[in-house]
Amino acid sequence: MQRVHDTDLIRLENITHAYATGASSQAVLHGVSFSVPTGQSCAIVGASGSGKSTLLNLIGLLDEPTSGRVLLAGEEMTNADAESRAIARNRIIGFVFQSFNLLPRLDALDNVALPLLYRGVPQPQARQAALTQLERVGLSNRSHHRPADMSGGQRQRVAIARALVGEPSLLLADEPTGNLDSQTAQDIIELLLSLNREYGTTLVVVTHDTGIADRMARCIQVRDGRIEEAEHA
Amino acid sequence: MPRQTAITPASSQGYGPSWLHQVCEPVENLRQLGRRAVLALLGIAVGCTAVVALLNIGHNAEREAMNVFRGMGSDLLVANVQIPGSGRSEALQNIATLDTDALRKAVPDITAAAPLVLTSSDARLRGHVLSTTILGSSADLPVVLDLRLAQGRFLSRFDAHSTHVVLGANVAAEWGNAGIHAQPGDRVQIGGYLFQVIGILQPTGQNPLLPAPPDDAILLPLEGMRRIIPSPQITSILARNPNGATLAQTSPALQQWVESRMPGYEVNVQIPRLLLEGMAKQSRLFSWLLAGLGSIALLVGGIGVMNVMVMNVAERRREIGVRMALGARPRDIARLFLLEAVVLAASGALAGAMVGLLMAWAFVHYSGWSDFSLSATALPLGIGSAIATGLFFGLSPAMAAARLTPVQALRDA
Repeated sequence: MQRVHDTDLIRLENITHAYATGASSQAVLHGVSFSVPTGQSCAIVGASGSGKSTLLNLIGLLDEPTSGRVLLAGEEMTNADAESRAIARNRIIGFVFQSFNLLPRLDALDNVALPLLYRGVPQPQARQAALTQLERVGLSNRSHHRPADMSGGQRQRVAIARALVGEPSLLLADEPTGNLDSQTAQDIIELLLSLNREYGTTLVVVTHDTGIADRMARCIQVRDGRIEEAEHA
Repeated sequence: MPRQTAITPASSQGYGPSWLHQVCEPVENLRQLGRRAVLALLGIAVGCTAVVALLNIGHNAEREAMNVFRGMGSDLLVANVQIPGSGRSEALQNIATLDTDALRKAVPDITAAAPLVLTSSDARLRGHVLSTTILGSSADLPVVLDLRLAQGRFLSRFDAHSTHVVLGANVAAEWGNAGIHAQPGDRVQIGGYLFQVIGILQPTGQNPLLPAPPDDAILLPLEGMRRIIPSPQITSILARNPNGATLAQTSPALQQWVESRMPGYEVNVQIPRLLLEGMAKQSRLFSWLLAGLGSIALLVGGIGVMNVMVMNVAERRREIGVRMALGARPRDIARLFLLEAVVLAASGALAGAMVGLLMAWAFVHYSGWSDFSLSATALPLGIGSAIATGLFFGLSPAMAAARLTPVQALRDA
């Protein structure tokens, strides 16, 4: 196993990704290479259909590239099987989705505890850790509410608590404020950035909101399957 | 970076939800599935009910049949003597006596034997007439048939030429019902003779292989039968061989001996024990047939489980994606859905087993059979096959769920 840059948490090398549509295939990413060092906050912006979500799926080990290499925390993940990908997702990555993706049948506490249960942590300890995370996002008084009984902002904060409970080194957020009003969106971004600042958790946010992109340390622009660095102050 | 080692394959040991959580989660999921789960459960329950009820009813029917035949004794041989149907009957002489001592010498395995002569006649005790069977036999009959006396004594060798009789239990009881208390010393008129009652038998129970049940008969010495009918004819010879191992070999020996003593007659020997075994085998076959019927019901229930699970997986596709993103491996997903199917089938099986037992019990109770007996195979077989059905039909939806990739599962439908 080749260690490239020990400080790079994410490293993509010459990534191509194509979706098969019937007989032909449609390339979404063309030879994309970039890396994100540990502790950085980074925005991925681009128009819809530009391939930014695909890029996020590849970083998040939810999808496999057609060609190229994916390294995560120095580990070669390009050809990893479904099982080690799942374990890597659980241990390295915390996901925050646009539509929250909380399990409707579980209350806030059990939703947050779920990643730890898959890690093999016994339920009482997992719930304890989940409660700590809910406190961190200011929702300890909502721990026994079902997602349906909470507002969008609260749901997203539960989702962030769930992403954090496994103490990941990487937070991946896909349009985390897309379903929220602007004030709540501000709060959520503030929360994500404070986690990045205080705990050094690497933060990658996919967004089409330039206001959010501007608050990240770095901005990667995806256009027609290729990326451009859009450095900003 | 300490986390780099965290994803090496070796670290997958101990990964995955705890045992308790693996079991609790499907139960909770099914509880929330509500009515649809109940419907699938119903299918399995009906199947399991059928298997458990039918096996138990079959088992009890077998026991009931065995009870009827148990009175026959397990070491009895019954030789039936018949006039051949070819029309030469007038040439045959009636044979009224048989030397059973010679039979014991010829076939040493036989410890006791008694010939039977049968007729029916009216018997009168203190003016009350009863139409009964008159059974002529030898002093060995109580040994052969395990007869016990309620009062008095049985006929002995020395009674051969005297006018002594022993009453069967039902005969005495019938006179008793008419207000006449029969007891040893009473005189009973049969035909033109008065006979003295010297004993009354205890009830012996049914024995379908005997030409007449001793309970319903008046017994007298073989030699005395001439007083009632002019030419008595031996119709059966009962013999006893306590050595179970040679029972089957004794049968042709007995047949040969009787044929040599009663030339021209048709003799066939029946062994109740072998008959019993044959019957048991037959009714067991019948039970399995019924169980097969039940398993068809189970199969239909299994399709119900599959239906619910396929719907379940389709509806929870997004949940599968979220679980995968959070670290569920394909096998965790497969196990989740497989266990849901198994829990569904198991609860259906338990409910069905209870209903099945209840139904079998009610059936046995209202059939007037003896006490309900639980079939040893019914419960394990019924519940086991129901769970196996759930496992089998739950496998394909669970595998389909596990084969989804995270992006496929997370994509909006």
